[in-house]
Amino acid sequence: MFEVFKISKKLKELGILGMNARNYKFISALNKRCLYPLVDDKVQTKELALKAGINTTSEIGLIEYQHQVKNFRDMVRGCPEFVIKPAHGSGGKGVLVIKKWDNECFITASEKVLTYNQVYQHISNILSGLYSLGGQYDTALIEEMVHFSNVFEKFSYQGVPDVRIIVYKGYPAMAMTRLATSESGGRANLHQGAVGVGLDIKTGKTLTAVMCGKPISQHPDTKADLKTLCVPMWKEHLLIGAKAYEMTSLGYLGADIVLDREKGPMMLELNARPGLAIQIANSAGLIKAIKNIEKYYPKNLSPEERVDFILNNDC
Amino acid sequence: MKKFFSVRKTLVYLLCLSVLFAAYSAYYKIKFWDFSIKPNKTTEIFIVDAHISFKAIGEDVKVLLATPSVSKEFKILNEDVSAKNYEFTKDSNTNRMIFTSSKRKGKQDIYYRLTVYDNEETRGKVREKVPLPPEKPVYDEQQQQMANDILTASQEMEGNLPQKLIALFNQSPLNESVEAFLPIQANKRERALAVIDLLALKDVPARLVRGVKLIEGKKASSADLMLEAYESGKWRLYDLQTAKEGLPKNFILFQRGTKSLLDVEGGEDSSVRFSVLKSVTSSFKMAEHRSKLTSTDGLYKFSIYHLPLVEQNILKWLMVFPLGILVVVLMRNVVGVPTMGTFTPMLVAMSFVETGLGAGLICFGLIVAIGIALRGLLSKLNLLLVPRISSVVIFVILIIETLAVIGHNFDLKVSSSAVFFPIIITAWIIERISITWEEEGAKNARKEIFWTMVTALSTYFVIASEYIRHFMFAFNEVNLVILFIVMLLGTYTGYRLTELKRFYPLLKGK
Repeated sequence: MFEVFKISKKLKELGILGMNARNYKFISALNKRCLYPLVDDKVQTKELALKAGINTTSEIGLIEYQHQVKNFRDMVRGCPEFVIKPAHGSGGKGVLVIKKWDNECFITASEKVLTYNQVYQHISNILSGLYSLGGQYDTALIEEMVHFSNVFEKFSYQGVPDVRIIVYKGYPAMAMTRLATSESGGRANLHQGAVGVGLDIKTGKTLTAVMCGKPISQHPDTKADLKTLCVPMWKEHLLIGAKAYEMTSLGYLGADIVLDREKGPMMLELNARPGLAIQIANSAGLIKAIKNIEKYYPKNLSPEERVDFILNNDC
Repeated sequence: MKKFFSVRKTLVYLLCLSVLFAAYSAYYKIKFWDFSIKPNKTTEIFIVDAHISFKAIGEDVKVLLATPSVSKEFKILNEDVSAKNYEFTKDSNTNRMIFTSSKRKGKQDIYYRLTVYDNEETRGKVREKVPLPPEKPVYDEQQQQMANDILTASQEMEGNLPQKLIALFNQSPLNESVEAFLPIQANKRERALAVIDLLALKDVPARLVRGVKLIEGKKASSADLMLEAYESGKWRLYDLQTAKEGLPKNFILFQRGTKSLLDVEGGEDSSVRFSVLKSVTSSFKMAEHRSKLTSTDGLYKFSIYHLPLVEQNILKWLMVFPLGILVVVLMRNVVGVPTMGTFTPMLVAMSFVETGLGAGLICFGLIVAIGIALRGLLSKLNLLLVPRISSVVIFVILIIETLAVIGHNFDLKVSSSAVFFPIIITAWIIERISITWEEEGAKNARKEIFWTMVTALSTYFVIASEYIRHFMFAFNEVNLVILFIVMLLGTYTGYRLTELKRFYPLLKGK
């Protein structure tokens, strides 16, 4: 019992944000419920992003009703590669990446061969709400595939990592990237054994790297030195995060950003309830970062000014 | 001001108020309605039957029977008369039942039934006026001499004067003077009267008391006698055999003084015999009588205890839910374990209460295991979501049906308890396990099952306790307290226990 209080006190000193505090002090206080659909529905997020001038993956088509599913091949005709995802999905669930296809045969990013029927079934599942948050009927979104930048190639086992930035009242507060490993089965979930890399909010360079709660310096599969990881076009990454605040009015949000080798950083999705694993990747507490922003960072700045402030300030 | 009325502070005030309210109403219920904290407290009820019998001699009949006075102190629940062809009234001044009838002949039987309960705290607290000094008995010289001898001999006995005398009259062998003083083969009543005379000689007012000892299964015995003497400003009762002072446990007074217990006009060979039957009733059933006696029945009528029993039983079941909900909230927000569905563990726990823990666990495990196997086959068919979960629901129904039939035919309680599990909830558990299994691996599925069962079992142990169920029903205002505790937990921003483990590695880096 005594031990519990001791650990609790130490974590508090480090400014670690817990789930209850996140929900009570930040999410319910800063994120209005009526704004959630803006980020929960990727179709709406995309429209908003377009208006706000945020670079995002381009849409090929939408499948809203079951009878439209049989026509999906007409929709993607002319696109050699495409991605199918549920509009209300989260955490990459239900995302199907097709990198090559003909009428009957679809090859996924992980080299799995699917039949037309299997893809048809997958879209049906999306529509019936299998991957959506509350299990309600969903829309399938067909997007162009992102051509991932090859800077991450040697750092990841299968899959391509994205960058997650926590944005507090418009200021990027903390950032990380998650690298899949063979242990995590190519998935980017930290509790399944992926590597979490905390990124310096000013530079996009590796601060710390953690796997299964332990600090590491090498990727376990590719053996790449994680210290050498540096996300290019970092300022553009931060700008997407900062703009997402004005775009959604969410005071506490998580922005997932991927780097396309031609189009630069693109917003993949936003999250109104971003997780707490970023603290483990950074070996640092979010409360500390947020208190800093509350105390020293000026209010009423434009997104560009905020990003400049972050890049130039020393507090 | 803002700080004073913050959400958390307001909730704390409300919590304190609800605690005070619950405490007061618990006090009220215990004091006025005799509720108990422990379940199954029973109150002893005695049914006293007075059987009056006599031979009518062909004239108008009038029968007077002394009865205990109806007042709070005398703990009478009910009076009932069975007297064929008799008219009866109660004279509330003298506390006598009066039965009258026109001319009749032959053997007559009148029954008077009294239902009383043991109201220990008010027993024997009867206030009475100071009696006049007693009239001294008139003795001849020889008797006076014996009386003096007896009084002298009694000095050697223990206790106060009445006790000394009673003890002397009960000595074995009997004191010579006493033996000579009493009529030959004196009965209990004659001895008591002799003691009363001797007390009068010493200016101590004394009288006979008739009543009934409430002993279970007592059959057709005449009234029990006791002696009451007025000393140092108080009437005190004495047992005529042991000389023990005070009203014995389970003794109900019918009549005091020399006035008779029973008077019969127009009859002869009259007698009254008492029989006593003990019956036991729960304190809830008694509460209504209690509320009437303490004039709090207005409130009682608006309590849940006044509802028909069927509704009371449903409410008794409902009243324990808030505690189960509190357990779920604690497990989710303070301990922080993942469970399948928020209230699923509680619903499963409720089923366990009905099936019994062992049988429930085995049976539930069986249903879920078969369900997962069937669901595994189903996933190969690539069905749409709603038809798929619907199929699982039908699977569950079929499994339950099969288990119930098997259970009945082979007399397996484990198997037949299947019918108690909620169908839809069980179906969703199967669906959740399968999906988690497919998407996040067997390890995560096992983890979720484990914590769901841990939460269900914690809830089970809370709601299965007869003690807690009784407490929550008898003192249902506690649910208001739980409401505010749950609301306060809604503002809890500390770490969950599981987060301490999750973030523990961060401490080592520093």
